Amino acid sequence: MRDLVEFGIEELEKKDIQYGDIRLSEINTEVINVKNGTVEAIKSSESEGYGIRVIDGGWGFASSADISKKGIQNTIKRARKIAKASAKASEPIELKEVETHQDSYTTPYKKDPFKMGLEEKLNYLMDVNERMDIDDKIKVRKCDFHAWKTKKFFASTEGARIEQDLIKTGGGLNVNVSDGEDTQKRSYPNSFGGDFNSRGYEFFESLELLEHAEETAQEGVDLLDAKQCPEGDMDIILNTNQLALQVHESCGHPTELDRALGTEASYAGTSFMTPDKLGELQYGSDIVNIVSDPTAEGGLGTFGFDDEGVKARKVDLIKDGMFVGYQASREGAAKVGVEVSSSMRADGWKNLPIVRMTNINLEPGDWSKDEIIEETDKGIIFDGIKSWSIDDKRLNFQFGTEAGYLVENGEITDLIKNPTYTGITYDFWQNCDAIAGEDEWKLHGVPNCGKGEPPQTMQVGHGCAPSRFKDIRVGVGKW
Amino acid sequence: MVGSEERFEKISEKVMESTEADELEIRIIERDTALTRYANSQIHQNIGQEDVDISIRAIFGKKTGAASTNSLKESSVKDCLSKAETIAKNQKSDPDLKGLPEPKEAKKSKENYVDATVEFTPDKRASKVKEIIEMAKSEGVDRVYGAFQTEEQNLFVANSKGVKKFSRFTSSNLTTTAIADWDNDQGFGWSESCSADVREIDHMQVGRTAVEKGLNNMNTEKIDLGEYDVVLEPLAVKSILMYLDMMGLSAKKVQEERSFMKGKFGEQIMDERVNIYDDVADPDMIGYPFDYEGVPKQRVDLIDNGVANEVVYDSYTAGREEGKESTGHALPMPNPMSPLAMNLLMDTGDYSKEEMIEETDKGILVTRFNYCRPVHPVKGILTGLTRDGTWLIEDGEIKHPLNNLRFTQNLIEAFNKIEGIGEERTLFSMGFYPGYFAAPALKISDFNFTGTTEF
Repeated sequence: MRDLVEFGIEELEKKDIQYGDIRLSEINTEVINVKNGTVEAIKSSESEGYGIRVIDGGWGFASSADISKKGIQNTIKRARKIAKASAKASEPIELKEVETHQDSYTTPYKKDPFKMGLEEKLNYLMDVNERMDIDDKIKVRKCDFHAWKTKKFFASTEGARIEQDLIKTGGGLNVNVSDGEDTQKRSYPNSFGGDFNSRGYEFFESLELLEHAEETAQEGVDLLDAKQCPEGDMDIILNTNQLALQVHESCGHPTELDRALGTEASYAGTSFMTPDKLGELQYGSDIVNIVSDPTAEGGLGTFGFDDEGVKARKVDLIKDGMFVGYQASREGAAKVGVEVSSSMRADGWKNLPIVRMTNINLEPGDWSKDEIIEETDKGIIFDGIKSWSIDDKRLNFQFGTEAGYLVENGEITDLIKNPTYTGITYDFWQNCDAIAGEDEWKLHGVPNCGKGEPPQTMQVGHGCAPSRFKDIRVGVGKW
Repeated sequence: MVGSEERFEKISEKVMESTEADELEIRIIERDTALTRYANSQIHQNIGQEDVDISIRAIFGKKTGAASTNSLKESSVKDCLSKAETIAKNQKSDPDLKGLPEPKEAKKSKENYVDATVEFTPDKRASKVKEIIEMAKSEGVDRVYGAFQTEEQNLFVANSKGVKKFSRFTSSNLTTTAIADWDNDQGFGWSESCSADVREIDHMQVGRTAVEKGLNNMNTEKIDLGEYDVVLEPLAVKSILMYLDMMGLSAKKVQEERSFMKGKFGEQIMDERVNIYDDVADPDMIGYPFDYEGVPKQRVDLIDNGVANEVVYDSYTAGREEGKESTGHALPMPNPMSPLAMNLLMDTGDYSKEEMIEETDKGILVTRFNYCRPVHPVKGILTGLTRDGTWLIEDGEIKHPLNNLRFTQNLIEAFNKIEGIGEERTLFSMGFYPGYFAAPALKISDFNFTGTTEF
């Protein structure tokens, strides 16, 4: 494979082009879904191919699964033809200079998830599934295992030569319950199939699905008889599984420089965090610090180098509440004069790298969750992603979670169903008055972030600790 | 494209000959996608992708295993078969599994394959984009955004019971967003067009509509939240149809009591003018004539004159109900999302958009919705925001543009409050969703807006 990449670079260097790179990947995935005591799906996939970027008057990108020298030559030809067509409506392209690396990176892991016996994984999931079977109102009980292994080679006409071996693992469980009148859902440790990390099988084991199966199923059943979420303005406390998505939608996406510059305007949207607001916008209260950190240990967005060869680095996005940084590509950074953030990633070999979140983390505060609850007169704790929506500039959002817990006079007093809250991004973060500390800080994996055309799905991480937001509107809509 | 029907047949025959499985399915999907993206009136991304996916499903008794590869090499396909068989042998039995579908001939087979779409070069895409950019500039709009995509697909499905199907398919899609006043972050307008034949994409019309909407969408005003009559353009209706589809039009959702259709069959659940059906053979629709199990797609009348009538099935969900057969709506199996209505249409009515506006005392005109998500799927409650052009209607006339609004609305109730259905419908694709929609405009009363944003 390395030889083929070298051949590709030699071919690119023979051409009269401004820049070229080639990224070849072998990707293996394994998915097991167990539902209602039977295996809904077990699937093993492998895919290999390469993508070639060139600047030849304009940008051109072509990808192919034809693993041969002839295939490489044809794909370079296609990429150049596309680049020349782009030149019809393209301004000169500048890439910010970065250090060129000849290096390698491997995800630290203990147990290779692909070497664990299928029967062992299957038996475990069947046990988990059976443990959830506690009530006739449970109509669907489901548990999942996912593993991904990627071997990547990256080389550029600037001299970069990078090899990476990345492993990711995760899983989770959920129930759908119905009493004929109402339907509810409850998941552990989170929605979207559970939780995911850049670690080996040991991460899946650490989720302790078996130990959480019954209590999750029971809470699903309990939700059917729970009180409807009240309407009004009150304090809310977000548990980490929901706060991860709040960070994702209301800080992760709007600090992507490509969105801020308009290059996603026709699809994902733009951003209210435009370059003129850099260093000027008080995004949150002064306890809010958010970073892009692909070096975070175990994060689903952790790697050694991004897909344009930039070494993984931590960048401040929000410092003491102030908007101070972007997730930026080499091209975007050159346009605006900001740092390159090592955020260019592609979904597999066949897609073009675009600015994607890595691990966008809210740094810990100095409270404990217990203290936050004790000092809340009236509020709701939100847990487990259920519904999420935000406008195309990332200002007006509305989230719903699987469960809510009413807090009255410093104590949890009731379970609440269909909890929702809504707000405007900067108002919301400016009302953040308590963030729990490092002991309760958790790095979640979100495996399904969509962006780009053709659509790309990215795996990203979000670290956070339970946090409180004052005077937020809850209980939206007619029920 | 590297494959052909003959090549795929040969691969299939070899796999069928060498398997130990009781039943075997091979599915090959090959795609060549070309897409030019433009932003700030410049082409900034321009790509060509080709890939093939070979998936093998092996069944031993009631145990299934599946594996896939993207290499057509004999050794890779052999490894893939071996992996599927190994998984199946180590699998647990599924009592509901009735096996792979039997061969069935389609009553009507339509192939949406157009050479002109396949032959549409990067240069041609760039030229059309440039013409949109120049037209916009001549109208005083310096920034347009969008994507021009063409795609060619091959689908081959065969199984050990004698199913053997091959079909080719092309699609093309152009979108344009105009931002008429970038400096003041306003003047958003949108349009799009979709067809199997790229020659049917009127790029200048798409560009002009987006520019016109953008120019008419300046100096937006806020409006009090509450219930309003709405005139939803076809693109906004498409989003609603897509979520109705996701929230309840499949047999799996009904069987698992996760559908708003559950327990309602035969009941009038929507206005009697509402007809929603899945029919790939409809002249207004495009797609493969059979599903990913090789079963011909049947027309399924999902909502028939407002009555909850039927849902779509794949072979697995059909096998779970006495006397049911697959309606030809399987996704690539195994698949937790399957079955799915992938060619959804809503019947037209007799209103023009202008008539809908004229008959509105106070209401809101919506170009499209953004980031819709179910709040309670079984109740049919959806939230989302308006985008790229929202206007206040008063006394039968468009008064002024509005800030984008958030709705939180029970869709079943909304479809009971239909005031008018558009006389034309438009075909749409949906980037991340494996389906096509043909939607008319709708006028609905008492649509619940629960929030507003700052632009």
